Amino acid sequence: MDLHFSREDTIFREQARAWLRDNVVRERRPHSGEAMRAFDLAWQRKQCEGGWAGVSWPVEYGGLGLSLTRQLIWHEEYARADAPDNHLCFVALNHAGPTIIARGSEPQKRFHLPKILKGDVIWCQGFSEPNSGSDLASLRTHARIEGDQLVVNGSKIWTSHGHLSDWQELLVRTNPDAPKHKGISWVICDMKSPGITLRPIEIMTSPNQVHFVQCFYDDVRIPLSNVVGEIDDGWNVAMSTLGFERGTAQIRDQIRYAYLAEKMIREAQRRFGSETPLSNDEIGARLAHLRADMAAARAMTYMVMSRAEAGIQDSQTSLMRAMVGETQQRARRLALDILGPYALENPEDDDWVYFYLRSFSITIAAGTAQIQRNIIGERVLGLPR
Amino acid sequence: MNLLPSGEQTQIVDSLKDFLADRAPVSRFRPPAPQIGNADRQFWPQLGELGFLGIGLGESQGGIGFTAAEEMLAYREFGRHLLSPAVLGLTLGARVAAKAGSELLDEMLRGRLPVGLANSRGRAKLGAECSGEFHLFDAKDAAWVLVCDETGAALLRREDFTDVAEVRGTDHVIGLERARLAAVRPAIWIETASEAIYPRAQLLIGAYAAGIAEATRDMAVEYAKTRQQFGKPIGSFQAIKHICADMAIRAEAALCQVIYAALVQSEQQAGEEFHSVAAKLVSVDAALKNAAQNIQVHGAIGFTAEADAHSFMKRAHVIEQLWGDTRQQRRQMLAAAFPD
Repeated sequence: MDLHFSREDTIFREQARAWLRDNVVRERRPHSGEAMRAFDLAWQRKQCEGGWAGVSWPVEYGGLGLSLTRQLIWHEEYARADAPDNHLCFVALNHAGPTIIARGSEPQKRFHLPKILKGDVIWCQGFSEPNSGSDLASLRTHARIEGDQLVVNGSKIWTSHGHLSDWQELLVRTNPDAPKHKGISWVICDMKSPGITLRPIEIMTSPNQVHFVQCFYDDVRIPLSNVVGEIDDGWNVAMSTLGFERGTAQIRDQIRYAYLAEKMIREAQRRFGSETPLSNDEIGARLAHLRADMAAARAMTYMVMSRAEAGIQDSQTSLMRAMVGETQQRARRLALDILGPYALENPEDDDWVYFYLRSFSITIAAGTAQIQRNIIGERVLGLPR
Repeated sequence: MNLLPSGEQTQIVDSLKDFLADRAPVSRFRPPAPQIGNADRQFWPQLGELGFLGIGLGESQGGIGFTAAEEMLAYREFGRHLLSPAVLGLTLGARVAAKAGSELLDEMLRGRLPVGLANSRGRAKLGAECSGEFHLFDAKDAAWVLVCDETGAALLRREDFTDVAEVRGTDHVIGLERARLAAVRPAIWIETASEAIYPRAQLLIGAYAAGIAEATRDMAVEYAKTRQQFGKPIGSFQAIKHICADMAIRAEAALCQVIYAALVQSEQQAGEEFHSVAAKLVSVDAALKNAAQNIQVHGAIGFTAEADAHSFMKRAHVIEQLWGDTRQQRRQMLAAAFPD
């Protein structure tokens, strides 16, 4: 056991810190629309030009090929610098890109990967359907093969930023007769394809907050060459992306929250006008536990990294995810209680209420808290199904 | 950076696990065993011989020369086995004696000099002169008593305490007395500024609590796998499965923070106070909640003295109170400097 970082890693940390200090965008990130798309792509472009794009991607695909330790350092420094999270680039950088790297064809790699790193394109995810949420493998959007094309019909939902995306990682049923996990294909879908219509869905941070769309596919033609991996093997291909989503890709967000807790303590001190927020006993107690739990969540992140470095592959990551998700949600709720009556105001430039409303998705997206607990119960603890 | 135990650390812990599994199963408290007090001091000489009482103390100070990390791992096992918390009197007493150059050190490291614990039960002031109202834990046959707070650690003689009165404890397998100190000069007083005993105490209490959180998780999971109702193991029902998952999340959070805090201490990194108090808060919370849920998962048998579930729950409450209860620890948590 140790907390040491090598001399080389420490030098790397200093380089990352210096670059971020000089280059982090300080403008407020828009919460929606084309302005948000432009903001996120510009920041991705800047990271790429600075030589910091694709920290986890192999060098041969334009990434930095960093060790897990250095990825951790990069994410720590990113959070410390309060750099903006370019959520719109998340799917491309953390699902689609890594999936194409792992399972894609050479032409797919050559065409898509550089565009992702350079900040030219936004990707979205076409997995969930109106009747396939937690039970993803029951999906029914289907594709029949006609010559060298797939013809897709059906509907996807909860597609984050679908209306702002260029490409979609799309799961379709190509073999309705096979068992439900066996007849699925993973396809690259051009969002400008004829036959796609989008229904915007406002989310609870409303008014005027379109986050999701529902996608309808009406005889949408996709070249067979856009299938990633083998036809009908899409479930396995998809699992490799969910692995990323449930694994190390969210480290940055976890570390960022430790700083958020500190910001909340300062805010509480400002509002209650004393040297210690404990002058409000209830808020103080909750802040104290939040601070301790944030520390523990970060220690859990270090443990997950340690296990990954040691080549231990198991479901223990889900323990960290569950802890982190609920601690974050609790933090956002506590922020509102610190604001008191001002929590009833939600102006455009607000730092708290918007994120409180957003926090309800934390325990739903990418596997609900309840699915997490099933995984922990069955795969970590060995309880019967 | 690596939070996993090394091969050597695993070996050390395995030897302790074997010893405790063999000699100190938690079932030792079940009736018809005596329900008042315990005989754990019989283990001290053996633990001394195995090197566990001075494991984290430097070789130059007479210890084994490992670090806070190994000491933390040992206390995690002590917690799993509900070893008398008076073992802290030896581990920390040896640290105090070593710092003071006291000849008591050798006997403590050998486990031949039982040391009880004193814990404030109201107003108390520690220092070169100690006063206040205390509880004594497992101090009846001990010539010495250790007490500790943010300002420092004091080693006192049992006869320094007045108005000693035996009371039955909530955790009745710990010997409990009320006692008073009236402006007594302790035999040894070590200020926090000269040696930070208190963060080490918080770390070890945290490790002990993490052990309770893990042991109760394991007990509940084991029961959920074997107990059948409606024709299947109760662990197949999500209502039970999710309780067990929550216990696993808490136990893992506690363990990770305890490990992190130990490494901050052993490597003298920034944030010793921050991480030690966080370790105690997170672990005590995990121990209390897991101990309670373990009883729930067991159903009626969990409510009896024949199962061990109640022993963990009662001990978790003792640990919560020891040398700073949750309210006091929260204050310290908020006052600690954030290690950026």
